Amino acid sequence: MSTVKRFTGSFRQSDRNGFLFVLPYVLFVAAFVAYPLIFSFVLIFHRWNIVTPMEWVGLKNFERMATDPLFYKAIINTLLFLCIHIPLQIIVAIGFALILNSNVRLRGMFRAIFFLPVVVSGVVVTILWQQMYSFDEGLLNNLLSMIGMHKVPWIIDPGFAMPSIAIMATWKNVGIYIILFLVGLQNIPGELYEASDLDGANARQRFFHITLPMLNPTVIVVIVLSTIGGFSLFIEPYVLTGGGPMQSTMSAFLYIYNQAFYFGHMGYAAALAFAFALFILLVVIVQRKFIEAEQ
Amino acid sequence: MPDLFLRCTYVRTRLQGIAVCAIVFLVLTASGCTRETPPSETSGPVVHLTYWPATNQQEVRLADTIVQRWNRTHPRIQVFMQPIPASQSSEEVLLAAIAGKTTPDVCSNIWPGSLREYTEAGGLVRLDQFADFDSVALSRSSHALLDIFKSSDGHAYQMPWKTNPVMMYYNTTMLENSGSSAPPRIYSDYLAMGRKIAFRADGVTPTGIWMGERDIRPIWWQRWFDFYTFYIAATDGQTLFSNSDVSFGNAQAEEVMGFFQQCYSTQIFPRTYFQGGDLFILGKKATNFAGPYMVAALKKFSPQLRYGIAPLPVPDTHTGPVYTYGDFKNIAIFSTTTHPKEAWEFVKYLVSTEHDALLLDYCDQLPIRSDVATNPAFKRYFEAKPEMLMFAHQVPYTRSMDDARDLKEIFDAISQEYEACAVYGKKTPAEAVSDAVRRARSIVEWNK
Repeated sequence: MSTVKRFTGSFRQSDRNGFLFVLPYVLFVAAFVAYPLIFSFVLIFHRWNIVTPMEWVGLKNFERMATDPLFYKAIINTLLFLCIHIPLQIIVAIGFALILNSNVRLRGMFRAIFFLPVVVSGVVVTILWQQMYSFDEGLLNNLLSMIGMHKVPWIIDPGFAMPSIAIMATWKNVGIYIILFLVGLQNIPGELYEASDLDGANARQRFFHITLPMLNPTVIVVIVLSTIGGFSLFIEPYVLTGGGPMQSTMSAFLYIYNQAFYFGHMGYAAALAFAFALFILLVVIVQRKFIEAEQ
Repeated sequence: MPDLFLRCTYVRTRLQGIAVCAIVFLVLTASGCTRETPPSETSGPVVHLTYWPATNQQEVRLADTIVQRWNRTHPRIQVFMQPIPASQSSEEVLLAAIAGKTTPDVCSNIWPGSLREYTEAGGLVRLDQFADFDSVALSRSSHALLDIFKSSDGHAYQMPWKTNPVMMYYNTTMLENSGSSAPPRIYSDYLAMGRKIAFRADGVTPTGIWMGERDIRPIWWQRWFDFYTFYIAATDGQTLFSNSDVSFGNAQAEEVMGFFQQCYSTQIFPRTYFQGGDLFILGKKATNFAGPYMVAALKKFSPQLRYGIAPLPVPDTHTGPVYTYGDFKNIAIFSTTTHPKEAWEFVKYLVSTEHDALLLDYCDQLPIRSDVATNPAFKRYFEAKPEMLMFAHQVPYTRSMDDARDLKEIFDAISQEYEACAVYGKKTPAEAVSDAVRRARSIVEWNK
């Protein structure tokens, strides 16, 4: 008791107040970050379906993972999504940002409209797109039929499904990146454009030699944010396709979720999540190396 | 002295107060008990049981009727009926309830494929501990049928209750229009008839009617109504496992996979997922693979919709009776119950002949009984619905699920291969079956 008193007595009053102020956050981190992290680390060496008692299996979960083709397919699908989604997002966002940065009428209203999908629930957006992508009665295919074109199997063909999800994800998230690029565009000094005008540069030259290089820091931010967002691809395939057709939209997160909550393999799902986290870390390290080298 | 006097007075007052409180408490408690006990019973506490039936309208009506009858005749054991809480599947709800120790006393929607998980979690009461279990069970079913439902530890945790043998419904008008006089019995007949129904005389122009249709999404339980039930039929009643080993890597499985591949590649099955109504009822497909529960829905559309029921098509070389998947649902008592004996009494009441007749009447589902087609108690029902006799005669030739871990994931593996091979034609039947077996084995191996 006296030791505790001595210990607490050694703090100044201001220190104690400080500890009290950080206590809620410490409790939050302990309950919702530290505990789940430690628990999932314990889980990777166990087999557990929530109902039956935990069973120690050593490295068996990793053995299964090594020979699980679905997990590797899920990672490849996620990378494919990133390869389509990130460039598409940057091109669309820059395009709209350039338009909204010019003197168009109702500019404020358009900025708000483009941002609207960002704040709408992902599930709602996905259900809406599910109706639009429907093969037989979807809005998109009806429009294509009206202009005499063939219907597109948007989400029922393994070759089309992931690009369709990437288009939908771009529509949902592009608003936030438009804002980022707008900020970037407004920070480009006007003198640069004036000087280029005097030098006789045309619009294309101004874009490629002034606008784009000056937007480079924003592009890097968008790439990093899109990569993080892209790796956590879940709601769209979960609601839209369930991972099909032929597992072509099975993202890594969706596969981990299925193993945990659909099949009740908590330990195996924890092992998959651990491996996937390492993979993301690797990608981020590589990305940083390239970006830092470019800078 | 005054101090002592005051203290004594204080103690006496406190004691009086406590005594008064105790009397009031006892009186209130006693009156409370009296309120709970029905007037006919004056001794002993009332036992309360909770019973979860399936959520479909017919079974809720059946459960409600049986519970009302029971509560009238058993004032000391009152049953509260509540349909299984809503979720994607009742198996998920029951597992969550076992984890949270919120299971009911009795549930009548136990899928045998999930039983192993429930028993390993210690969630179920062993029914063969009751002295009269054998006599009750054997009064309905044969030893052979009961053995199907025994767990790997040799004990019985479920009371076999009802079955829905999967059979082929066919549209009689379409069958006649295609020039056939009998439903297709073998694969080649089925495919030939399909071409006549799905295409006009030129053999190219689609009629807009399909021979059949299955949910093309790789949902694990959808395979009960195509690959699995056809595999049972093609193998004279084999299931996925034999002596605890995955055993479906054989020529019959490839033949079944090949049959469905042909159905899609020849376009007699659509490669689309339909929403908004049953295509068989809408007159858009000629055959449907389903259990007897569909009869009630079809009755509403007759006589415009003329239909017949036949065993599933089998490989061309097949001979003998045609087996099928039984889609069984059984009754279990959960170990959270504090009144296992009373719960067992209620289970016996649920499976009585009288209530088996009610199961037929209300739900068009067959009780698991050897005498279902011959028992006089069911005669009136089968006279009114003679087509149901087809299902009754099929009952001895039905199969259930293996007592294996992770059946859900194994069926998911089959579903993935079914989609790749049958629906999209990206794999040969041999590759698809081989890949499904490999994945099933790795799941089983991981579980050891």
